[in-house]
Amino acid sequence: MGYRKKLFGVQDPFDTEHTGEIFLKAVRENCRFHYHHCPEYKKLLDHMKFSPDDLKTYEDIAKIPPIPTLFFKSHKIYSMPKNRIFLTATSSGTSGKYSEIGFELGGLLNGLNMLLKIFKWRGITTLRPSHYIILGYRPHKGNKTAVTKTALGYTFFSPALSRTFALKFKDGRYTPDLEGIISAIKKYERSGFGVRLIGFPSYTYFVMRLMDERGLCVKLPKRSKIMLGGGWKQFYKERVEKEEFYALAKKTLGIDEENIVESFGAAEHPILYCDCKKHHFHIPAYSRVIIRDVDTLQPLPAGSVGLVNLITPMVKATPILSVMTDDLGVIHDGGCDCGIRSPYLEIIGRVGVKDIKTCAAGAAEILSELEGSK
Amino acid sequence: MILSEGKMFHSSKQNDILDRLEERINCTLASESLDVETVIAAADQLGQRIASGEFDDRIKEFSGENFGEYVKTAAMFMKRENLEYRVAAELGTDFKTCAEITPPYGIGRAEIRYMPMGTLFHIAAGNADGLPAFSVLEGLLTGNVNLLKLPEADNGLSIEIFRQLIDIEPALKNFIYVFDTPSSDIEAMRRMAEMSDGIEVWGGDTAVRAVRSLAPVGAKIIEWGHKLGFAYISGYEDKEAELSALAGHIISTRQLLCSSCQTIFINTDNMEELERFCTEFLPYLEKAAAADPVTEIGVFAEITLRKYNSVLENAIGAGTTDGRIYQGKGCSLTMLADRDLELSYMYGNCLVKALPEREMISSLRSSKGYLQTAGLICERESRSRLTELLLRSGVNRVMRAGTMSASFCGEAHDGEYPLRRYLRVANIEMQ
Repeated sequence: MGYRKKLFGVQDPFDTEHTGEIFLKAVRENCRFHYHHCPEYKKLLDHMKFSPDDLKTYEDIAKIPPIPTLFFKSHKIYSMPKNRIFLTATSSGTSGKYSEIGFELGGLLNGLNMLLKIFKWRGITTLRPSHYIILGYRPHKGNKTAVTKTALGYTFFSPALSRTFALKFKDGRYTPDLEGIISAIKKYERSGFGVRLIGFPSYTYFVMRLMDERGLCVKLPKRSKIMLGGGWKQFYKERVEKEEFYALAKKTLGIDEENIVESFGAAEHPILYCDCKKHHFHIPAYSRVIIRDVDTLQPLPAGSVGLVNLITPMVKATPILSVMTDDLGVIHDGGCDCGIRSPYLEIIGRVGVKDIKTCAAGAAEILSELEGSK
Repeated sequence: MILSEGKMFHSSKQNDILDRLEERINCTLASESLDVETVIAAADQLGQRIASGEFDDRIKEFSGENFGEYVKTAAMFMKRENLEYRVAAELGTDFKTCAEITPPYGIGRAEIRYMPMGTLFHIAAGNADGLPAFSVLEGLLTGNVNLLKLPEADNGLSIEIFRQLIDIEPALKNFIYVFDTPSSDIEAMRRMAEMSDGIEVWGGDTAVRAVRSLAPVGAKIIEWGHKLGFAYISGYEDKEAELSALAGHIISTRQLLCSSCQTIFINTDNMEELERFCTEFLPYLEKAAAADPVTEIGVFAEITLRKYNSVLENAIGAGTTDGRIYQGKGCSLTMLADRDLELSYMYGNCLVKALPEREMISSLRSSKGYLQTAGLICERESRSRLTELLLRSGVNRVMRAGTMSASFCGEAHDGEYPLRRYLRVANIEMQ
């Protein structure tokens, strides 16, 4: 026992090459745990004729039936009693349905270990204090989305001198306060401490464009960073051409490209994917990615586009060992100038058709209505 | 952008315009009226200009690859023949004249007059391009002042159509107000609703429910919700031709339309017969799919994911569809044991269920709000009996299977003549 701790304890956060054996062991341990503690998970595996004991070689990991994120949106399933669940995070659902993932303390501590290692590698964990400008929600009781928590969490990796939020909760709803953000940026320009902007790429872009339109350019202190994050969805939706984004950041805020750090994660796969200096998302040692054929769901080799299946033995409270996102992606095998040897994941889109303009746009709705009325 | 009194305004002017709008509309109601001929003439002229290619460049900007389809549909809808035929079919030929009656047991003489409802508020879904424009055109034909909230997916086509229409016929300018208000701006929508006599909504259940909640008591709500189509098979006249036509329909519409076939019902209660049908029909569907394949990888992925998800849902006993999947290349049939009309996975992935004739009414009644089109395949001698039964179940269109989505001029929409709903009947007591 304790393979999970060993896996999350490995020194190099991107060593996927030498961690295969320990990863397999941690996966088997996790799979067994869920199989014996989550009745729904047992039913799923039995139905798919898979047993945790089938996990004999590294290749067998692909045989674990992945659970679609869609599934978690309709079923809240747990492998631990409520009192052992330390924290629940909901995915920021765009369709009105949310998945609710529970985390136990042990999983979170391993997660923290991971965050510290990855952020240290990217120069984010430091003792020098910073001003934080969060282009997102100010947390409040009613907002449990993982994004809110992540954004706030980021502000602890260097001592916070101040925190300014772009979206404020007022009179029961969120209102953007972009003017407040711009005046904060101006104020901290001469503070001598680094300024860290955290948020969805789209908001950050919007603020920079607003500044550009007003002819407002500042040069933030040299340790300043832009930390972009959000769910996987925000990662490619409303995506701005990256080169343009970097150029605008240099012009309006005086921040260099290598100080723009992008990361993403999801409640259903709480592993931090953080880009390297070449802006590639390398697979961390704590996670594995299988790209699956869109027709047969069989694993595909690197370089092929398919459904993204993410695997991690990080959590015991909810069976999110192997989840299938509704993203389409591709794995690039090795060969990055940043020096990291682990393959990197590129998300290229999402399942479905963009902007379906037919009755079918409401058809799924009808379906759920019909189901609900039964 | 906002279109008000024939002029374009920036979206930020919305609330200023709304502040003055009620007074503006009252002014129009007091002193102006629209003649149906004026509207038809303007629409016809615009339709001709569209057909002649005058706006090709503009339309191309909006339409992309569907260019040809746009031009054809727009020109056809706006044609004088079409509009005149519709007005006659829906309202009769004498709706413009005042009829005088002498009713029994009451006052002496009375006059009957058809009046516009007053102000119509159209809330359009991004359903079909140009749809918001046609919705407003119907409001104009019946002499109403029209407020339109554009769908968020609108591509600018609707506002362009109205600008051109007002250009041709300036008398229309006080009858058309177009707003690009986002659906989240409930307050603005409520204000528009409060100014209106009738609220017309196109969209799914969520949209319809939202509109109901913001409509003031007394406002007439005209709903065009989403519907589910199905095929009903009870024997054949020409089996091969009919199954080919049904397969063609399923593939060519991608099952995306309200009239598309989602579920195929077979007149039987024998599951073996369903199995036989699936085995027999799958090659037809595969042939149609091969001729017109779905090429978007995202679509494929979504269907695969949803099918896989329902397998897992069934495993934990939460599934609604414990079916057997007949997987074809680029298509599939899912055989299910229940008798409910249901949305399929779409894109060539149809559901197959048993529905014996004697249970048709009780089964279809449970989906009554969603019934629209049935494609009927049956022996010649059963056709009138089954048609009658389908109509009694609440179905509004009984078509042949291959032409389930075909439309014709002057046809009713979801069981109604839209133009009639935009008028009210006034009675005037005569001396």
